[in-house]
Amino acid sequence: MGTPETGAAAAPMVSSKPRRMPLVTFNDLLWMLYLYPIGWLARVLPRSLLYAIGRLANPIVQFHARDRRAKAAAWIAAACGTTAEHARKIAADSLSHNLFGTLDDLLLVRPGSDSMLCCDGVEGLHHLETALARGKGVILLVAHFCANRIALRYLAMRGYAALTVHNRQPTNVAEGRLGREFLQPRRIGLQRRAFPEHVFVQDAECTLKIMRRLRAGGLVMLQMDGRAGTNPIEHSFLGRRRHLASGVFEIVRLSDCAVVPTLCLGRSDGLRICFDPMLEIVRGSSRDAFVSANLSQFLTIVEKQVIANPEEWRLWNHSLAWRV
Amino acid sequence: MEPLPGMAGLRSPQTLDRIRRVFIESLHLNVQGEDLADLEQLKEAAGLDSVAVLEFVAALEKEFDIRLEPEMLTIEVVGDLKQLAAYIDERSAQGRPPLESPA
Repeated sequence: MGTPETGAAAAPMVSSKPRRMPLVTFNDLLWMLYLYPIGWLARVLPRSLLYAIGRLANPIVQFHARDRRAKAAAWIAAACGTTAEHARKIAADSLSHNLFGTLDDLLLVRPGSDSMLCCDGVEGLHHLETALARGKGVILLVAHFCANRIALRYLAMRGYAALTVHNRQPTNVAEGRLGREFLQPRRIGLQRRAFPEHVFVQDAECTLKIMRRLRAGGLVMLQMDGRAGTNPIEHSFLGRRRHLASGVFEIVRLSDCAVVPTLCLGRSDGLRICFDPMLEIVRGSSRDAFVSANLSQFLTIVEKQVIANPEEWRLWNHSLAWRV
Repeated sequence: MEPLPGMAGLRSPQTLDRIRRVFIESLHLNVQGEDLADLEQLKEAAGLDSVAVLEFVAALEKEFDIRLEPEMLTIEVVGDLKQLAAYIDERSAQGRPPLESPA
């Protein structure tokens, strides 16, 4: 199944041109199964049975994504400096984690789902408290890890509710018209129910809402490794040239907020969250000066997180992640 | 669009002109002469993204030495230059303390 990719508040207001696509694809059928029979069952099934369904579906998902996995393995081997065999295992594990993360989304829309979240540990909470004490808001800087969504809900439950940015129109090259027109809006609707505090990257008001939250001294979770919308920054990331979103830098520059690197790992039955000390932001008068002074620091942190936990990064198998 | 409560009755032409100038300069838009005088809504500047809106707000706060209250950071207020002018005039009339200098 394709994974939605969310950039950091930098997409243009206008939508891109529609592309020609088949009526139905295998990917659409997988999403149909996910949203309906599995989605309905998830309302009543215990988590262990839902995960059992996930284990049954995993070989199908792995087979469906075999070409993407092969490409991802080559990238993983180069980026993580590991053997081809280990890289193939990481690519497969990344897909599995993504699958279980998607199943966790179904759990999150259940009434009383907060009580189902099991956290194995939160490290560095004092770093977050220190950053909040500045009173200018805090950006939780994360990469596209599978556990981010669960962590958002857990943190909200602990009194650290964070605004997050979603993509209303994630690009998925494997979907057909059924997926694009019918299933995708329902997937997005499911996300909206699971995460009431969000803003869509396509909204004209996206960064204003983020700024509003920061000025109120609140939290915003932003994914640093999102695909760029407008004003992209071309830079090497995990050994490849990528167009990265510049929006996060503009938000930090203009808000003077704190930035706390955050790592979220695991699943709903065993979540771990780690907050690092807040970054020393180098102030710059212009956008370009600010980006060149801080880009390397931001990217290095995210790259280290991914290389240390490659099997939990969602974008290895994402075709858009390969594009410059 | 109806003005927000407490924002009716005030709006000097000079403030509106300054806002338009800040808008054009901060976003490096190629709008001149009559087009500039007609500009009232952010959406009239095609292709504007949400980060650009934020840059406009920052430039506006610097120009007028004010800090927009969080509840004013909406596209309804920021996107309507006349309404924005009314808000800024009202803030000026109230004689709010200037924006604190950055750290």
